[in-house]
Amino acid sequence: MIEFIHIAHAAEEAASGGVAGTLGLNLQYFIGQLITFSIVLLILWKFVFTPVAKKLTERTEKIEKAMSDANSITREKAEFEAWKNQQMSSARQSAAAIVAQAQTDANKVKDQTLIITKNDQEKLIAQARSQMETEKSKMMQEAKSEIADVVTMATEKILKQKMDSHKDQELVKEMLSSIK
Amino acid sequence: MISLPPLAAEQVFKIGSFPISNTMVNSFVALLLFAIFAFFINKGVKKYYADNKAPKGVLNFFESILEFLLSNIDNVTKDRKKTLKFLPIVGTLFFFILISNWMGLIPGTGSLGLHKGAEFIPLFRPANTDLNMTLAMAVFAVIGSHIIGILTIGFFKYANKFIKLGDIYHAVKSLNPIKILTAVIEFFVGLIEIFSEAAKMVSLSLRLFGNIFAGEVLLTVIASLIGGFGAYGIPLPFMGLELLVGFIQAVVFSMLTLVYLTMATAEIHGHDEGHHNAEEKASVA
Repeated sequence: MIEFIHIAHAAEEAASGGVAGTLGLNLQYFIGQLITFSIVLLILWKFVFTPVAKKLTERTEKIEKAMSDANSITREKAEFEAWKNQQMSSARQSAAAIVAQAQTDANKVKDQTLIITKNDQEKLIAQARSQMETEKSKMMQEAKSEIADVVTMATEKILKQKMDSHKDQELVKEMLSSIK
Repeated sequence: MISLPPLAAEQVFKIGSFPISNTMVNSFVALLLFAIFAFFINKGVKKYYADNKAPKGVLNFFESILEFLLSNIDNVTKDRKKTLKFLPIVGTLFFFILISNWMGLIPGTGSLGLHKGAEFIPLFRPANTDLNMTLAMAVFAVIGSHIIGILTIGFFKYANKFIKLGDIYHAVKSLNPIKILTAVIEFFVGLIEIFSEAAKMVSLSLRLFGNIFAGEVLLTVIASLIGGFGAYGIPLPFMGLELLVGFIQAVVFSMLTLVYLTMATAEIHGHDEGHHNAEEKASVA
C-alpha cells in the first residue's frame, strides 16, 4: 500500500515537473555530479594518466630506439660482410693474377735457362770431342812412332842372327813383353 | 509487494543549503576510491619510475590496462599524440562509469538507507541511475570535444564545420550554379549539425541512464519475485549480466566520446586546399 502511495506521489511530482521532473533532472544535483566528475578527472589526469602514460611513451620510444639501433647494427654488419666479401674476392683475383704472372715469368726463365744450359752443354761436348780427337791423333802418332821404333829394333835383331820359326816366335814374344 | 527504485535520485541529506542525493553519495565513494587508487599509483610512480625499475603490483597491473586502452584509442585516432591528448578524458569516463556501474552490485547499495516516516530512502544508489550524473558526463564530453576542437584547429575553421559561410562565398565567387546550390544545401546541413550536437548529449546520457536504471529495476524485480533462499541465488546470473552491461556501457560511452573528440580535431579540407590538391593531381597525371 505504501509503495502505491509512493508511486502516486512520484507521478504527481512528475506531472508537475514535466519530462525533466519525471526523469529527476535537478540543476543542483547536476552541478554536484559535474563537480564530482571533474574532481575525479583532475585526480586521474594529474596523478594517474599523465605520469604513467609519459613513462609508457618513454619506454616505448626507448624500445623503438633500441630496435632501430639493433636494425642499423645488423644492416651495417651485412654491409661490412658484403664489403669484406668483395674485398676478399678482389684480393683473391689479384693474387691469382700475380701467381699466373709469376708462373709465366718462371716458365720463361726456365726455358731461357734450359736453352742456355743446352748450348753450354753442346759447347762442352764439342770441346771435349775435339780434345779427345786431338788426344787420339796424338796417341796414334806416338803409337806409330813406337811401332816404327820396335819394327826398326826387330829388324835390326833379325838381321843380326839367323832366324828360324822358333826364334821368330821368341823374338816376337820378347818384343811384345818389352812393349808392355 | 515490489519496491521499484524511482526514476529520480532521492535526497539523503543537505550540506548547508546544497542537497545531496543518494547517487551523489555513490559518486563521492567512487571519488574516494579513485583518490586512494591515485595515491597508490603515485606512490608506485615515485618508487619505480625514479630509479627506472620494473613496476610491480598495482602500478604494473594498471600499466597493462593502460597499454590496452592506448592501443584501442590508437585504432580510432590513428595518431599517438592525439591518443595521449584524449586519454585522460576518455580514460576517466571509462573507469568512472565502470566503477560506478559495478558499485551498484555491492551489497548494501539500495538496501542500506534511512527511514523518513513511512518512506525508505536508500543511502547508496548507482551513480548512473541518475540522469543528472549521465547528463553531466555527456555535457562534459560534448562541450569538451568542441573546446578541444577549437583549440586544435582554430575557431574559424571549427565554426565553418557548422556555419559554412566560407563555402557559400567560394561558390558565389565561382559563379557556378551547381556549386552555389550545393553550398546552400551544405549551409543548412551545417545548421542541422548544431542540433545534432544537442542530440549527442541527450543520446549519450539517456543510453547510459536507461541501461543502468533498467538493470537496477531488473535485479529488484527478480529478487522480489522469488522468496526464500531463491532470492539469494536466482539474481546471480542477472548480476553477472549487469557486470557485463556495466562494462559495455562504459566502453560505449567512452568510445563515442573518443569519436567525437577525434572528429572535432580532424582538419576539414577547405575549398582552396581541395582545389590545389586537384590541380596537383592533374599535373601529376
